[in-house]
Amino acid sequence: MNWRLRSTFTCYTIVLPSLVLLFTFVYLPVVWAFSKSLYEFEVGSPARFVGLSNYTEYLFSDPTCWPSLLNMLLLTLFAVVVRLTFPLVVARLIYALPSERGRHFYRILFLIPIVVPGVAVQLIWMGLIYGDRGLLNELLRLVGLGGWAAGWLSEPHTALAAVAMVGFPFIGGFEVLVYYAGFASIPTSVNEAALLEGCVGVRKFLLIDIPMVLSQVKLILILTIIGGVQSFQNVFILTRGQPGFVTNVPGLWMYLNAFSFQRMGYACAIGVLLFLVILVLTVINLKYFKSAEQLQGKAS
Amino acid sequence: MSLRKILRYGSLAVIVLGTTWLLRPPPEERHADAGKAAKGTREDARFVLKIAPGSSYLPGTQPFGLDLTLHGLSDVVADFEQRYPDTKIEIINVPGVREYLVTQLSSGQAPDIINVNVEDVWTDVQKGWYVPLDQFLEAPNPFVVEQGDPSLPGSKEWWDMFTYQGISRGKAAPDNLNYCLTYDMIETGIYYNRTLFKTWGVEPPQTWEEFLAILQRAKQEGKIPLLMNLSNFNDWCTDLFFDQLYYDLLPGIDLIQDPVREQYLQGYLDWDEIAFLFRKGFFHADDVRYREVWRLMHDLKQYTNRDMMGTDLLREFVTGNAAMLWSVSAIGFRLQADRDLGFEWGVFYLPRFTKQTTPYASSVDMCVIGGSGTQLEITCSAIGDTDPNLSMAERMEKSERLQRAVAFLQFLCLPENYARIVNEYPCMLPNIKGVAALPVLKPFEEILARRYTTTKWVYTFDLRFGEIQSRMLGLFLADGVSEDEYLRWEEDNIRAATENLLRRKSVDMDKLEHIWEGKAAIRATYRDLPPEPGRDAR
Repeated sequence: MNWRLRSTFTCYTIVLPSLVLLFTFVYLPVVWAFSKSLYEFEVGSPARFVGLSNYTEYLFSDPTCWPSLLNMLLLTLFAVVVRLTFPLVVARLIYALPSERGRHFYRILFLIPIVVPGVAVQLIWMGLIYGDRGLLNELLRLVGLGGWAAGWLSEPHTALAAVAMVGFPFIGGFEVLVYYAGFASIPTSVNEAALLEGCVGVRKFLLIDIPMVLSQVKLILILTIIGGVQSFQNVFILTRGQPGFVTNVPGLWMYLNAFSFQRMGYACAIGVLLFLVILVLTVINLKYFKSAEQLQGKAS
Repeated sequence: MSLRKILRYGSLAVIVLGTTWLLRPPPEERHADAGKAAKGTREDARFVLKIAPGSSYLPGTQPFGLDLTLHGLSDVVADFEQRYPDTKIEIINVPGVREYLVTQLSSGQAPDIINVNVEDVWTDVQKGWYVPLDQFLEAPNPFVVEQGDPSLPGSKEWWDMFTYQGISRGKAAPDNLNYCLTYDMIETGIYYNRTLFKTWGVEPPQTWEEFLAILQRAKQEGKIPLLMNLSNFNDWCTDLFFDQLYYDLLPGIDLIQDPVREQYLQGYLDWDEIAFLFRKGFFHADDVRYREVWRLMHDLKQYTNRDMMGTDLLREFVTGNAAMLWSVSAIGFRLQADRDLGFEWGVFYLPRFTKQTTPYASSVDMCVIGGSGTQLEITCSAIGDTDPNLSMAERMEKSERLQRAVAFLQFLCLPENYARIVNEYPCMLPNIKGVAALPVLKPFEEILARRYTTTKWVYTFDLRFGEIQSRMLGLFLADGVSEDEYLRWEEDNIRAATENLLRRKSVDMDKLEHIWEGKAAIRATYRDLPPEPGRDAR
């Protein structure tokens, strides 16, 4: 065996365990889910082939389907808007600080909350802020607006908005860091040119800075969309999709079908449909949303 | 070493030592661990059985307000291990959620003995996840027999040891086998602020109208009249209201008198009967009684806390913000132990509907909706020492591990052991003859003496049915959906659950139809029965 072949073999051998694990724990369950979505399958009972009926039942017979998809869409859209604006502005403000010490301090300040688990954040909002005797209601009572106090998470007309507002003011440490990295990578020559042209302040932010961090915006956009479609833990903790199905999302219904109702095949079908939604949205994003590099390439 | 390093490492050492000191186990635990170590280790044992008894008796727990760390169960376990040195019992705490159950049972990793609501068990009995206990319950309890007194309960049948025979035996699954040991009892009641009642010059109500009058008075006085959450509405309220409106109809609609359970449950409508009645037009939007159940519940909602999911009910009650709290017997001791409680309290049960409440009232006292508290089941893990390809009967016969698990349950039921566990503090009502309820639980003993409910809706069908009903009821009560729309959801939900039930279980609908026809004359005397789908309305 010559040196090149041996080297190649060694590299593949080193990668192999990771590949095996990846295949076993990521790809195999996906294939398994695709396969089981065609069966009526309850844990502990024999499976029965039902073809596409799990899909048709969810899409055309399950009354939770379309309201849940709409909720998912609204929550995801809201998340996209707030994650593409608030952290971006904050990152730009930090970047604009004159001293490196100040920039460092604020970066750390916004990054620290990242260590707080999401579950804890949801529980804090549920109990301390939205609770019957929580901050929000008590503040309203304090200023004489006790009549406006409400069960924010349990009343049909406020529940979805209350779920969406968790995390206010929506300045996630991760997003701030990503955008900040984008701003920091803008070449000095670009900033100097903008200054010479008199392009400063908000105008520079909109016309120069944002186009230069489009790669970061694109990354956050993709991650937010994937997270919005997949995630249900916030709804699960805050409301379990209640009251009624007012805050229900497909991911939560998938979870409940799998582990509470034991309808594994049905849950797999919902999972496959969510996978397809994410796939389509990601392809659209990759195809039609240009990054800064792509825009620069086009310009040159 | 520089002073700076000494300070740095010294302060780190102080932090580590301080943390270790703070995290040390409390004295009792250290003592208990020492005791366990003296009795042998897990590795020495031939049988290591795991029991998840639920939170009520978990050793090491400190019940609210009591200067007590629970040890009753671990003491009895220690006695059992002394008697059977080849056995080690591990008491564990497990999540009380269905997700845990399904995953653990399907993988054979569940505790050998577990506390699960038997209605959750019924859904899975065909999967062989639980061991039927009938043959053991119908045989003498060997620990009673060895006491040599044939008059003692349990010397002929283990069954005889239980105080509440109806509820205990009524937990048989629809396959007529009993998978559940009803270890203790729990009941609900209305806790009321007696001081407020005295101020207002009112007494616990005898009829629904009197009850409504007190609720109105409390509302006028600026108090939350009645504290209850969505689960109370969905579970307790539904069954009680349903019973009040349908009890009169039972002679004409209760189709199957189960040979085992009937003498105890007296007209209980099982899931197959509910499914059949649904097909006959009952529980549809045009079943006036069914509509009335939800209307009355909606009326009651106006007197309860606004937020049905986020309100801390107990806190509102103890702080005097509310006049009444509908809750379980297990919180009585907390009220009793609360030295800062600034009022006297009492307990009453919901009063009956009258013809003034609704023309369809059966005018009978409200029934029992509580019943079994800790429900112990033996899981398939206990027959894990046998070939899984054998039938359940063969596995039960061959399993030595199962014999030991059953022996442990029998040992737990001996009055002297039982009292040490159940009466360690006044949380649950005893269900073993010869063990009396502690004083704070006495009012609930009287409630438990009533007849059992007509049906348990949340456990009638599958879990999906229960989930949808709970959600939509919550939405209806919060005025998020109209009565008609709610009833349409309900109808669709029961239809889907009925179809699922009939697909999965072999219900003999022809037999039910035959009995149904036989009761036509009785039903002819009833008014406002729902029209049968496909036939002219009567």
